[in-house]
Amino acid sequence: MQIVSPQVTSAKGAPSQRQPALRSRRALRRLGASLGKHSVLIVVSAMFALPLVWMVGTSFKTAQQALTLPVVWWPHPFLWSNYPDLFAALPYFRFFWNTFLYAAITIVGVCISSSLTAYGFSRLRWPGRDAVFYVMLMTLILPFVCTLIPLFVMYKRFGWIGGYLPLEVPTFFGSSVFSTFLLRQFFMTIPQSLSEAARIDGASEFYIYRRIILPLAKPAMATVILFQFIYCWNDYLGPLVYISNQNSYPLSLGLALILGDYTTNWAWVMAGATAATAPIVILFFLTQRTFIQGIALTGTKG
Amino acid sequence: MASTAVHKVTPTRLIRWRQTRLGLLFISPWVIGFCVFYLYPFFATLYYSFTTFTGIGNPVFKGLANYSGLLHDATFRTALFNTFYYTIIEVPFSTAAALGLALLLNMNVRGQAVYRTLFYIPSIVPVVASSLIFVWIFQPSFGIVNSLLSDVHINGPAWFFSIPWSKPTFILLGLWGLGQPMVIYLAALQGVPKEMYEVALLEGAGPWQRLRKVTIPMISPIILFNVILSLVLSIQYFTQAQVIESPSGSPGSSTMFYVTYYYQQAFTDLHLGYASAMAFLLFILVLIITVVLLKTSRRWVYYENEQR
Repeated sequence: MQIVSPQVTSAKGAPSQRQPALRSRRALRRLGASLGKHSVLIVVSAMFALPLVWMVGTSFKTAQQALTLPVVWWPHPFLWSNYPDLFAALPYFRFFWNTFLYAAITIVGVCISSSLTAYGFSRLRWPGRDAVFYVMLMTLILPFVCTLIPLFVMYKRFGWIGGYLPLEVPTFFGSSVFSTFLLRQFFMTIPQSLSEAARIDGASEFYIYRRIILPLAKPAMATVILFQFIYCWNDYLGPLVYISNQNSYPLSLGLALILGDYTTNWAWVMAGATAATAPIVILFFLTQRTFIQGIALTGTKG
Repeated sequence: MASTAVHKVTPTRLIRWRQTRLGLLFISPWVIGFCVFYLYPFFATLYYSFTTFTGIGNPVFKGLANYSGLLHDATFRTALFNTFYYTIIEVPFSTAAALGLALLLNMNVRGQAVYRTLFYIPSIVPVVASSLIFVWIFQPSFGIVNSLLSDVHINGPAWFFSIPWSKPTFILLGLWGLGQPMVIYLAALQGVPKEMYEVALLEGAGPWQRLRKVTIPMISPIILFNVILSLVLSIQYFTQAQVIESPSGSPGSSTMFYVTYYYQQAFTDLHLGYASAMAFLLFILVLIITVVLLKTSRRWVYYENEQR
């Protein structure tokens, strides 16, 4: 609209003849730029989407059709049975349950220990606080292999190998530095005057933590819960080291199992991958706002 | 009122002491965890690295034997090379691509949220699932990638099963997950005050100058943070290679990454002392990289004067 109207008016006056051409050239350039932007974005989007599209597509094909050349884009017959077949062949529900339990217990651990620790790092002033906080952040860059062997030896002595205790217990002791960091950043944004008012009224510090700060930090806690859930859902390395019995496998290890066992049936492998991916993607769409805010909070307010 | 000056000292000191005690109490879960799950095992690793140890019985002190063993270990050198190869290519590429996409999305693009979601989703796909997906799409004879390539008359390589192509394929898998840093960069870009661009425009800065003199300096601390984290993570590259390549390190030893070799030494061969030496060297490596980055960062990272 903006572009058209000056053209009409200036067309009458001969001196401004050059202007409409300039304007339309600018509009053209803007259109070109927008077209350029979108074509880059669409091409990249297609490349990003292709693996997922192909995964879902393959999961509805027959084993033979997955290995047909030239490739078949739309599965026909549209085969649903890969999913029930796969769930029958492998104890998938068991894997799901193990993963849920692992996630639930560590979420409790993280919520308690990380919020307490974050409180100590943000709502109270004490000498050396920030230095200790940096020590905590430094553990983020400590490679996991630097502690793995002694921990393994220690857990073996405790009789914990084979179960989830090596993965669960540390979360009750602030092992999720990421969560502590996120909560600390959030606690910092709550005005100190709230705490001071409560202190004058004689509230204990634990009361302030439990009754004032935690209720205010619900959005941050939601982010922590979400990220911890996804962490457990995706965690492969921890279970690989400590879980040996197939019955105790989480989804990640169970999924890796099909690659070894059923490489010939790619439809099954992709059905397994889809079954593991879909819940997380659905969860993402349901909680998108929490998600994006959480990433922004940890990533940008260093 | 005259006495407040005298009394003031004691209550503030009392409050400070009270806050210190309480602060330590609140962080005590982490302090215990730090000592038990970080500090002790870290020094134990250092100690084991000077010993021969199989996990059963006591470690036997061997001095620097493990370290000198590593010096003459060809597989170790390969693992180190492969890890550097992956890191040196993956980190700059994914940083540049994530930043580029974020800049593009930040330019008033219609449908920004849709694109952001599309780019982000791959980074939440479970790592085992994404590994399986990539094995399948890069399957040499029936995979979609080689099929598309053959449509334009290109004979696709064997990707994960080819010695020269296996590492680049892992890099592509890594690039697929760049949604995470991209979302962070985008959030950072949206945090750059609009007035700064207005001032830059008034002073006649072109788009390139605005990018170089305003945008990049303003988000440089976040770039630094992300680059350090992704460097540290890619030096520990392991999971995808472990899921995809069996036997691990194949084909040839082209995907024998540092941690892959460590894992083999520790949990297959039970050379715990030798593996501990590898772990400690990795720590030194990460430390050097981080310190160098932080030191050089003073030249290119811009910190706002205001303190939070």
